[in-house]
Amino acid sequence: MIKSVEEYLELLKTELQDSDAATVQDALSDAEEHLRAALTSLREKQPEASEEEALTQVIDQYGSPEETASAYVEVERRTSPQLARPVANNESLLARFFGVYVDVRAWGSLLYMLIAFVTGIFYFTWAVTGLSLSVSFALFIFGLPFALLFFLSVRGLALLEGRLVESLLGVRMPRRPLFTQQNLKWIERLKELAIDRHTWFSILYMFIQFTLGTIYFVLFVTVLSFSLSFIAIPIVQEWSGMGAIYNNGIRYFFPIWSYPLLIVGGLILWTTFMNLARGVGQLHGRMAKSLLVIDS
Amino acid sequence: MVDSSILTKKFQKEMNAGIASLVLLTVVDKSNKPMYGYQIARLLEEYSGDTSFMKQGALYPVLHSLENSGLLESKVEPSVSGPPRRYYEITAEGRETLVIWQGVWKQMKSFVDRAIKGG
Repeated sequence: MIKSVEEYLELLKTELQDSDAATVQDALSDAEEHLRAALTSLREKQPEASEEEALTQVIDQYGSPEETASAYVEVERRTSPQLARPVANNESLLARFFGVYVDVRAWGSLLYMLIAFVTGIFYFTWAVTGLSLSVSFALFIFGLPFALLFFLSVRGLALLEGRLVESLLGVRMPRRPLFTQQNLKWIERLKELAIDRHTWFSILYMFIQFTLGTIYFVLFVTVLSFSLSFIAIPIVQEWSGMGAIYNNGIRYFFPIWSYPLLIVGGLILWTTFMNLARGVGQLHGRMAKSLLVIDS
Repeated sequence: MVDSSILTKKFQKEMNAGIASLVLLTVVDKSNKPMYGYQIARLLEEYSGDTSFMKQGALYPVLHSLENSGLLESKVEPSVSGPPRRYYEITAEGRETLVIWQGVWKQMKSFVDRAIKGG
């Protein structure tokens, strides 16, 4: 006999322990939303029913934790994330190398590498400010509520980053906020958040993102400008009639026979980078998943 | 006796796998405003009468998968009581797909009916 919504959610979590952590998070939020809405509406219709009777009735319609868990497992097995479509393996190496241009994941990774520069700076600033203010405000009475707000904001940012990672990198991440108990006092809530591994891993991710974001951005800009320069050399030399390299007052020309090589070189450099970006994106997604998603 | 009820359950589950997507998409399409999970479940309860075809909890993963394939879209809004609710709405692609699916269902239904009647 299940006595509370919290107990149901705990049981559901246990049932889903072998599933993808993101699925667990979705299942818990769905169940909480539904059970609470159903309880409220049942209480309006049958005010005389006891809390336990009402819950039993609601769970009977929603399904036991085992039934619900198996429904999620079943659907999850049939569907994979939007972008994670398997790459056809029967193509030649060359086709796969240049096929990167039609791969959504490669473009998604490129965009992510640019965005990571901005989000990285923001996360870093937020984490450093939040942590240091939480520690120094601890002397005052409003120190603890401030720390609570900071931890909650970290949770929110972790969810947002998860959405970004899933839509751009195609790695399955939670779609719903993490389930938390509703009836806790704020000080208990703070304690729960402070001892939760997930909070600290999210903060760690915010620091790592700063370094990685900068590296991604520098790589992106450097490779892009080199590739474009190589491709542009023939055009610049022919149109302006000036040598593309300028050193100590002397202009050097690239010979005409090298034009095709330069253009092909520029294209290959950029295509290699796109392939690299796709791989980096997948690795980054895996790291984000291990740090931002709770394993039950 | 026990065996036949297990078999029936299994049969029901296999049937539900495809039909749930069709029914959910239809219900969300018919509604003129976005609906949240519990509302959808209540409406289906009205349609099914005394027999329950599937547990309400099994609707949600199907909603997720429809959203994932771009047939539905959703947004979260705070509610007066309890946790925030996710509201689902059909997309243009969803409407196009639904027309095709309903066609498939009609063909399937008349095929099964004819097979059962045997003529």
